[in-house]
Amino acid sequence: MLSSATPRAPLRQFGAALLAPYAAMADLGEHPPSSARVFFGAALWLGLCPPLFAFVGTTVFGWRLGVDPIFLPRSTVAAISAAYFALLLVGLLSTAVVARWMAVTYGADTSFSRCLALVTLVGTPLAVGSVVHLYPDAYLNLVVLVPTLSWSMFLLYRGLPIVLKTDPARGMLMASSLIAYVLISWVTLLCVTAVLWGLGIGPRIAT
Amino acid sequence: MTIQTKARLTAPYEDRIVTAFTACSIVWAILGMTAGVYAAAELVWPQLNFGLPWLSFGRIRTAHTNLVLFGFGVSALIGTSFYSVQRTSHVRLFAPWLAWSVFYAWQLAIVLGAWSLLAGWNGGKEYAELEWPFDIAITVAWLAYAVVFFGTIARRKIAPIYISNWFYGSLIIVVAMLHVVNNLALPATLGKSYSLFPGAQDAIVQWWYGHNAVGFLLTGGFLGMLYYFLPKQAEQPIWSYRLSIVAFWAFVYSYIWAGPHHLHYTAIPEWVQSLGVVMSLVLLAPSWATMINGVMTVSNAWQKLRTDPALKFIVLALVFYGLATFEGPMMAIRSVNVMSHFTEWTIGHVHSGALGWNAMITFGTFYFLVPRLAGRPLHSVQLANMHFWLALTGTLLYILSMWAAGLSQSLLWLSLDDLGAVRYSFVDVMRAMAPYYLLRLLAGILFLIGTVLMAVNLLRTFAGVRTVEVAPPILATTHREATVGTS
Amino acid sequence: MSFLGVHKAIERNTGLLIFGILIVASIGGLVQVLPSVWDDSLSTPAANVVPYPPLELVGRDIYIRESCSTCHSQQVRPLLAEVKRYGEYARAGEFAYDRPFLWGSKRTGPDLLRVGGKYTDAWHRIHMIDPQAVVPASIMPPYPWLAERQADAGDIQTRLRTLRTLGHPYSDEVIDSAPAALEGKTELDAMIAYLQGLGRFAGGPDEHAEH
Repeated sequence: MLSSATPRAPLRQFGAALLAPYAAMADLGEHPPSSARVFFGAALWLGLCPPLFAFVGTTVFGWRLGVDPIFLPRSTVAAISAAYFALLLVGLLSTAVVARWMAVTYGADTSFSRCLALVTLVGTPLAVGSVVHLYPDAYLNLVVLVPTLSWSMFLLYRGLPIVLKTDPARGMLMASSLIAYVLISWVTLLCVTAVLWGLGIGPRIAT
Repeated sequence: MTIQTKARLTAPYEDRIVTAFTACSIVWAILGMTAGVYAAAELVWPQLNFGLPWLSFGRIRTAHTNLVLFGFGVSALIGTSFYSVQRTSHVRLFAPWLAWSVFYAWQLAIVLGAWSLLAGWNGGKEYAELEWPFDIAITVAWLAYAVVFFGTIARRKIAPIYISNWFYGSLIIVVAMLHVVNNLALPATLGKSYSLFPGAQDAIVQWWYGHNAVGFLLTGGFLGMLYYFLPKQAEQPIWSYRLSIVAFWAFVYSYIWAGPHHLHYTAIPEWVQSLGVVMSLVLLAPSWATMINGVMTVSNAWQKLRTDPALKFIVLALVFYGLATFEGPMMAIRSVNVMSHFTEWTIGHVHSGALGWNAMITFGTFYFLVPRLAGRPLHSVQLANMHFWLALTGTLLYILSMWAAGLSQSLLWLSLDDLGAVRYSFVDVMRAMAPYYLLRLLAGILFLIGTVLMAVNLLRTFAGVRTVEVAPPILATTHREATVGTS
Repeated sequence: MSFLGVHKAIERNTGLLIFGILIVASIGGLVQVLPSVWDDSLSTPAANVVPYPPLELVGRDIYIRESCSTCHSQQVRPLLAEVKRYGEYARAGEFAYDRPFLWGSKRTGPDLLRVGGKYTDAWHRIHMIDPQAVVPASIMPPYPWLAERQADAGDIQTRLRTLRTLGHPYSDEVIDSAPAALEGKTELDAMIAYLQGLGRFAGGPDEHAEH
């Protein structure tokens, strides 16, 4: 089983989420890495995957929305990928901050490193699943990432009480509140996107 | 105190009618959701229309919306309002014979109404498709409902009217006003009438009605359900009484104005559209105040989550309530609406509210209510948990597939090519939607299966028993004298 | 009296609560809806607008019966791509004789406000009976029964008179000759007549030039 003596490399700690989730949760609960280790050892690299895969896929295959593929200039794709990366980091950090803020209400451990570790754990399947961005067909991505998202939700609901050391019932409430935060952020992003496109920043649409 | 008065004050609650409305609500839920699933399937495989008028998508969709809103939704609201108004007033329902008339009239109206819709009787306005004979019958039944509900409150033994009754009350009063005005029409034949309002005026009246059917039926009424059943289930008082007062009046005031956000960039006056934007954003505040009230109440009752499957439904219902009441105002902003109007995004938004909020809170309430009506524990906690995961997965899959579909749709519709012509034909875009329609069908099937599991579970809970008789608590005379006398 | 004080009185009095809700909920309608209903510009027909002739009216009522608005909108928005795709954007004056309005809220199929004249009668005839025959990828339901049923001449005069009561200027001649106008016509003929008429009211003055 896991040795409690030597700390494992962060990426392995989180990577275990895929094949040995309960072990991963227990490990993070007992040996929470520091925020720096989580961020620079795992989160940053996991967060790099989706934009990199998206960049490669978009330049090779183009965006596929069910009509003929849309090819964009390299510089545009690079800009979009960079923005994607930035947004993922903002999402990761803000969710961890919100989790820390909520932890007080739900009697959970308020250490930021644990919150960051939890969010990274939850995001790990999505980061790995983002390999589907190599073929940027909208529908295919949806079909792959929705079950992946279910895996993340499972990690959230089961993992939160363990990693943040709270009662499972309180953990369920806190997990639901975090999902509310993520959904709201997602909708905000959707609407900001719509507004930006209308202003001409983004795909050329004629309103 | 006379013998008659004493008898009236100690008579048991009329709960058999609650059982009746709950049972019918579940039947309509299954029928209405089946119609929805069939409609979704027809969009994937149009052969399922079979060239039959009563099976065609247009009529099936209309039957779907009416069955879920007025069959499932309203039956649940009337039933739960009768349960809670008695218990918050400590008195038996006013005129039970009238209440039972409402029950039979309502169910008959739904049966005949759905039949009429499939036969092609259609007023032509969304969620007001039932033609004038039904409109009149519904109005009469609704007035009777009002008499029973407010009559019970007038007879109450507790001076302050509890907050759930304000919300149910707002449902009754405002929906009556909206229904009557929007359905004003001159009949030509038994099954055909013409709207009193023409064209652009009709549009404004329709969406004053349509949005507030959402506001007062789907929101106000179900908030009444929340404000009674959540504290009961959580065994905690509402977190903030003051917040609930402010939120209530702000809610009643603001919702009414939001209708024109259904009409952005149409031929109605700009000032009406702009008011719709502003007030839709204002509406965020009372909606979220209520959500926060609910969440904070539940978070005090977390221990019950371990044993009570119903509470999980309430928690997620609040999450989706927050989502839907946030997304709505966002979509009301003109520049967002440009992208969302006429697309699948609107459908996704509707169902995030209808499935995530309305259905889930009703399910949670039924899991709490039916064991109490039966005087027995829930037949299977495991089935209830399975239902929960099916409902949650179905809702999320629905929303995600429709977000993706809607955004693609509007992007492709609005794209011009380098020569300034429309880039994609309508058919191109429609073809691109096909896989999303399949995902949405799957989502609907999952949700329906969950609902069927609930029906089986609650039926087994009630097998072979009758509704338990409960008497209101008898208060001390001094308290009674101090409280009775205000009407 | 403070707000909470006022509220304490309302929450102890059923009548006050009922009236309170009614008054507060009426404000929005009184300010936003009532003036629009009284605004003549919204119900005054534009110069070239006429009430639907009997055959087209029957077609329109069939459109409503079959719930076509569920999938088809009739409201072109003043957006560049939309105007390029569908034609002139919608003005209020076009809809003065639309009872009820049929603007729709969803485009599963294309907008139909300007569909008149874009396709031949023969195309519509095939399309309504078997949409996939002319548009292979179409998911529209077939409407074969429209070709099998006669356009109902029985109540057309009642309908026209009802509309005249509501303000549509139908002359006695039109009403008297209406059954004859429907003689030998199927519901499909009526539907096609209605569809081919859609959009001919475009080009009227724009009262809401703020667009």
